[in-house]
Amino acid sequence: MSDRLYRWDLRASPYLYIAPFFVLFAAFGVFPLLYTAWVSLHDWTLLSDEHPFVGVANYRELFGDPYFWNALGNTLSILVLSTVPQLLFALLLAHLLNRPLRGQTFFRLGLLLPNVTSVVAVAVIFSQLFGRDFGLINAILESLGAGRIDWQNGTASSHVAIATMIIWQWTGYNSLIYLAAMKAVPRDLYESATLDGATGLQQLTRITIPMIRPTIIFTVVVSTIYGLQVFAQPQLFGGGGPTGITGGNDRQFQTLSLYLYEHAFTNGFQFGYASATAWVMFAVIVLGAGLNYLFVRKIRSTS
Amino acid sequence: MTRRLVYLSLTAVVFFSAFPLYFSVVVASSDTSALSDARLLPGAHLWDNVVRVFDTVPFGTAMLNSVLVSLSITASVVLFSTLAGFAFARLRFRGRTAFLVFIVGTMMVPTQLGIIPLYILMAKIEWTDSLRAVVVPALVNAFGVFFMTQYLSEALPKELLEAGRMDGCSTQRLFWHVVLPVARPAASVLGMLTFLAAWNDYFWPLVVLSSPENHTVQVTLSQLRSGYVTDYALSLTGTVLATLPLLVVFGLLGKQIIGGIMQGAVKG
Amino acid sequence: MRRVLAPLLALCLLTSAAACGSEAAKDEKVKLTIGLFGDFGFKPLYDEYKATHPNIQIEERVSEYAAHHQNVTAHLATNTGASDIEAIEVGYISQFTAQPGKFHNLLDLGAGNLEGKFLPWKWQQGLSGDGKSLVGLGTDVGGMAMCYRNDLFAQAGLPTDRDAVSKLWPTWADYVKVGKEFKAKRPEAFFESSGNMFRAMVEQGSQGVYDKQNNLVVDSNPGVRAAWDTSVDAINAGMSAKLTAWTPEWTAAFEKGSFATIVCPAWMTSYIQTNAKNASGKWDVAAVPGGAGSMGGTHLTLPKQGRHPKEAYELISWLTAPAQQAKVFKATGNFPSAPELYSSPDITGFTKDFFNNAPIGRIFSDSAKAVKPQYMGPRTGDVFTAIGSGLGRIENGQQKPDEAWKQVLSDVAKLK
Repeated sequence: MSDRLYRWDLRASPYLYIAPFFVLFAAFGVFPLLYTAWVSLHDWTLLSDEHPFVGVANYRELFGDPYFWNALGNTLSILVLSTVPQLLFALLLAHLLNRPLRGQTFFRLGLLLPNVTSVVAVAVIFSQLFGRDFGLINAILESLGAGRIDWQNGTASSHVAIATMIIWQWTGYNSLIYLAAMKAVPRDLYESATLDGATGLQQLTRITIPMIRPTIIFTVVVSTIYGLQVFAQPQLFGGGGPTGITGGNDRQFQTLSLYLYEHAFTNGFQFGYASATAWVMFAVIVLGAGLNYLFVRKIRSTS
Repeated sequence: MTRRLVYLSLTAVVFFSAFPLYFSVVVASSDTSALSDARLLPGAHLWDNVVRVFDTVPFGTAMLNSVLVSLSITASVVLFSTLAGFAFARLRFRGRTAFLVFIVGTMMVPTQLGIIPLYILMAKIEWTDSLRAVVVPALVNAFGVFFMTQYLSEALPKELLEAGRMDGCSTQRLFWHVVLPVARPAASVLGMLTFLAAWNDYFWPLVVLSSPENHTVQVTLSQLRSGYVTDYALSLTGTVLATLPLLVVFGLLGKQIIGGIMQGAVKG
Repeated sequence: MRRVLAPLLALCLLTSAAACGSEAAKDEKVKLTIGLFGDFGFKPLYDEYKATHPNIQIEERVSEYAAHHQNVTAHLATNTGASDIEAIEVGYISQFTAQPGKFHNLLDLGAGNLEGKFLPWKWQQGLSGDGKSLVGLGTDVGGMAMCYRNDLFAQAGLPTDRDAVSKLWPTWADYVKVGKEFKAKRPEAFFESSGNMFRAMVEQGSQGVYDKQNNLVVDSNPGVRAAWDTSVDAINAGMSAKLTAWTPEWTAAFEKGSFATIVCPAWMTSYIQTNAKNASGKWDVAAVPGGAGSMGGTHLTLPKQGRHPKEAYELISWLTAPAQQAKVFKATGNFPSAPELYSSPDITGFTKDFFNNAPIGRIFSDSAKAVKPQYMGPRTGDVFTAIGSGLGRIENGQQKPDEAWKQVLSDVAKLK
């Protein structure tokens, strides 16, 4: 290879490799972004042909709406309740799987089953678990002498139930991601640790976690992003109908995505207002993901 | 932790993970359209319900469309994400961090609202009601790029690349001969997750694909739960049928992760 | 691209419309697409129609209820992608009739002479606010009755014969009184949730939640407040099972028999029959308090972007004609909106053995006939949702009635 060609290869290849994303984004991502930003400055209902410009009125109305703040609070609460146990649990599962075991494929496939199960089945199962009158959990509570819990109508109880659905659905997914990363950790590190008498748990915290730190950062950031956009689980938990969209009669489990959807598609098709909500949500997600990123990095540097 | 305990806890997790799917099979093999709470064993009506699904909706066509869509998206996402991940993790170029932050940032845009402007766009270029409209925008995604970047930045030994450079390999040769083998475990996980997401995508295909002959499986399945009375047996039979291809793909790609272990062992 | 398109477009405008597709020549094949949310029982009718209209092809596009309406909205908003014919349910219809510009005016296509074929209030629901354009032709109506568990009634010492039961509750206040008697004897709930009952009461009035100038009258219409108070009275007496419609738990409650009565539109009878298989003979049907009402029902509309309005109109006027509605009713139980059928033996003689052979054809006919036309404002569905949530908060003990009412008023005021 000639020298000039070699230098050109070094300089241009990286750009060439990341180009497909940006080409597609330029084609299909930019326009929707700019469009919704523009729409968010208008009184824009989907069905009407007139869209008067209103400036930041949608944003002002949004910040003045207690239901928006309520949705933000619910979203954060569900995020914490679901993400923390889910990632810890996933890490532990991956650690258990990262050793010579019989039936590896069986266990791995099993972990992904929640992601292939249809939403209809998920809705039915979980409402039978968390049902007030005929639910399995309440039947157990009652037989233990504790009272029944009206899962859906309490704020905390509904958040716990929804977080359970999320944990159930995404733990296996994250543990596979961790497992793939753990496969890349050199075996000899573990071998010498075993010779030094390190326990399994010590190997996890002292070798595995530092070695797969980039992947941990990945899962924390991605879970934060997806967690702040959570939509399907609270909607299914509410029965899928209008009560699902408002997150219960008292909006006790309405998340930001449900709030956005309510305004865009069920409550008067307020496209302008919903667009403003989307942009504020975007800001919230950037903030949340950024904070979590710094947090994960900090843990590493102090340990 | 003793071995027996490991097996026990993993089996328990798989049991809880599998139960709702098992329950779908139970309902799918029952003869009523309603849910019966006490039922835990499969009935004998699975075949009747399968026949009903095929009679009610064009299920075969929809499966074919979904396979086509999901396979092309998966192949493309895995390739382009690995390329970009390699560039971000191990190549040096101006603006690297900024580009990566931008890509991750695009994941943070709430998706539900993008549907309408994207639809307007598709109408302008006359792609509505064609599978292109579902496939092309999904050929690369931020999730995949970010995932591969993080994985390769921990798994791809710098020394290996330097040795390759010394031998005068072009970047492209490095990619095929050094990066791809190392990326295999992550690439197969990414492949599974991408196939899964493409297969289960519902919101956008529903809006953009109107003719029945272009429907994907999820769009077709939604017909089975329409109407005043939900026929759960019919609806869950459809979803169970639609799950089978996923299990096949998982079986195939799941083995690839084990292949990756061997690679890692040799390299490590 | 645009440079090529513009002259083409100009050419189109200059030459006759036939070349560019707006009106098809007589012998040319025309494909009509029809977007529905569920099985409307139209499939056998298409074949019949095609026999007399050999140039018409029909393609049905079915999706699920919420997805269908969201889809129609997206397609109307972007002016592309809608089917030639779109079904719109009554819960959404007023938002669409508020935008008649998005639809072909059926009056221009000759629908004026069909008015007498439909129930007056059903006809009115399809009209735009100014009454100048007709957006949709009605298919079915809910009709309304009160379904009740005769075994629970017997155990509570109440009459079980349907005529006697109907006589128990000429008004809603009487219904609540019966509920109190029932609760004194039985642990089961008297009804599943208060939202349906509230809605039925309001819809029986001459004015609903809007006046004809589209002003909200939730606060000022005494009928709304009276309906609220009656519902609150029933809730306080512990009559509600506090269930949310369409949830699996609601469905299970039918089978378990955990409530004694439910406001029952015609299609609800199929629902009960499917979901409470083991309760055959235990359910029966009486008249609804207040004498009349309807819940549910659909209109067929022609979005403006459809290119074959004439052919599409011809098809929907045929599908909604009394003869076809009668066929649909017999096949699916969807109750017709054509009053001339209400005296035909086909309908009035219709009984269901699941409901102790109740003459549901006659009961629903009487109820549908007696409905007074009521003006529906643009956001009626959302208003009822907000009020239903308010009643739900009282049922669940989250709020006192006064607080709930205050929040309902502020929620409703935000609906523009």
